[in-house]
Amino acid sequence: MASLVSTVGLRVGYAGRPLLPAIDLAIEPGQIWALIGRNGGGKSTLLRTLLGLQPRVGGRMERRAGLRVAYVPQRGDHDPAVPGRVRDVVRGGLDRGWSFLKPSALLDRGAVERALAATETTALARHPFATLSEGQKQRVLIARALAGEPHLLLLDEPTSAMDPVNEEAIFSLLHDLSHQRDLAILVASHQMSFVPRFASHVVMVDKDDGLVEIGDRVAVLSCTACRRKYGDLLPHA
Amino acid sequence: MPDALDAPLSLDLFFEGWELFREPALAGAIAGALLGLLGVYVVLRRVVFLSAAVSQAAGLGVALSFYAALHLGVAVSPLVGAAVLTGLAVLPFVGGGTDARRESLLGVIWLLGSAGTLAVGTRIVAEVTDIQDILFGTAVAVAPEDFARLWQVALALGLLHLWWWRGFAAASFSRDAARVQGLPVRLLDVVLFATLALAVSLTTRTLGALPAFAFSVLPAVAALAVARSVPQALVLATGLGALTGFGGYLLSFRYSLPVGPAQALLGVALVAALHGPVRAARGVRRLRARFAATT
Repeated sequence: MASLVSTVGLRVGYAGRPLLPAIDLAIEPGQIWALIGRNGGGKSTLLRTLLGLQPRVGGRMERRAGLRVAYVPQRGDHDPAVPGRVRDVVRGGLDRGWSFLKPSALLDRGAVERALAATETTALARHPFATLSEGQKQRVLIARALAGEPHLLLLDEPTSAMDPVNEEAIFSLLHDLSHQRDLAILVASHQMSFVPRFASHVVMVDKDDGLVEIGDRVAVLSCTACRRKYGDLLPHA
Repeated sequence: MPDALDAPLSLDLFFEGWELFREPALAGAIAGALLGLLGVYVVLRRVVFLSAAVSQAAGLGVALSFYAALHLGVAVSPLVGAAVLTGLAVLPFVGGGTDARRESLLGVIWLLGSAGTLAVGTRIVAEVTDIQDILFGTAVAVAPEDFARLWQVALALGLLHLWWWRGFAAASFSRDAARVQGLPVRLLDVVLFATLALAVSLTTRTLGALPAFAFSVLPAVAALAVARSVPQALVLATGLGALTGFGGYLLSFRYSLPVGPAQALLGVALVAALHGPVRAARGVRRLRARFAATT
């Protein structure tokens, strides 16, 4: 089967200047990728390039035809001044391309209910989004992404500002979603503790050291350069 | 002569003279409704001074049209000049940007518009009064052709916003996710700001700069105090805008106040009326929670 997204010699950066060495990767259905590294190390640049939000500096990137991608930005990107109940927020994930021209009644409202159910947020559907806890907000934003029934879901720091219990719950949810829906997931995070239990593949980046390690979890977590860089901070596979 | 504030005029007189007051009163309601609707985006995208800046840019456009006709022999309609400069003024707001960048841009556009108009005005002294008339129409009396243009444009823009609101909301409030989902975010921004520029410049031309600014901010601020969703906010702000425009005209008649300020003050009163109870209720809830935590 063709990869959902594949890159060959992909260079990411700004104003034509590459930030990281060339990147070759291929994301397949059902895989969970962890994009890890310290803050300011190039994770967001790579993530935004993979999402198409930022132009690549060089190399090739291909997407499978008809690929549906969804994105969960950092929680802080959601403006609390914008009013919305949970169901309204999730419904925002339904529109693709020019579908906003269709009357709302023609949208697949069942997809909203399925996304709420999958993230266990059905009971919150009528609550104002702004009044939810951090963990609940993240679940709702994941539901919003799922409403469009994507093949590939990318999340930026989904557990920042979360306590360990909620963090565990969010990664368990992502793990279950990936298995139930054959959904490919890529999570960008500066935290590494979740990697051994939840990720099948890892991209580790650090622009200061020109470090890019890509591969399955065991290979990356045991790579010599990564061990030398992070020592005991890097979990064992 | 009795003090007008001591002896308010009967509203019966207003409705007896409806033929006379119909167009300016309804123009206030229509412009209030249209800018109330668009104001939700203005307020939530934090560009509340956009309409003030747009008015000044329109002034410069009109001044440049007169200048071109007088000194360069090029006939350009003042309304076309205003429309071109208005369009250029909103162009930098298409796309994202930080709050600081947006605020700075608003300041630059306002200053360029006002200083530019004054500077060009020294070369077209005889036409300066015409600029005032063309730009800052009066809310007291509205010419039939201006009223016709206003309601036709308002109807067209209102229908467009009713149809495209999901796109405008996605492009405004969840830009990155919308781009990933393939929505034409840039085009949506261009259309949103073009409709805003058109609505503000037309209202400024018909009723004046103060009502245009008030309608594009106050009804939305009031609506956002109580709305639980974006569609609710859009509907409520439209209604409150119409109320502000029409009610403000009634107030001005009853208490012999200038129309624009009466409309703006009614808008402020609506903001206070809707935000006050909401904030009070929030304060009571906080106090209760604090009391419960200490007992």
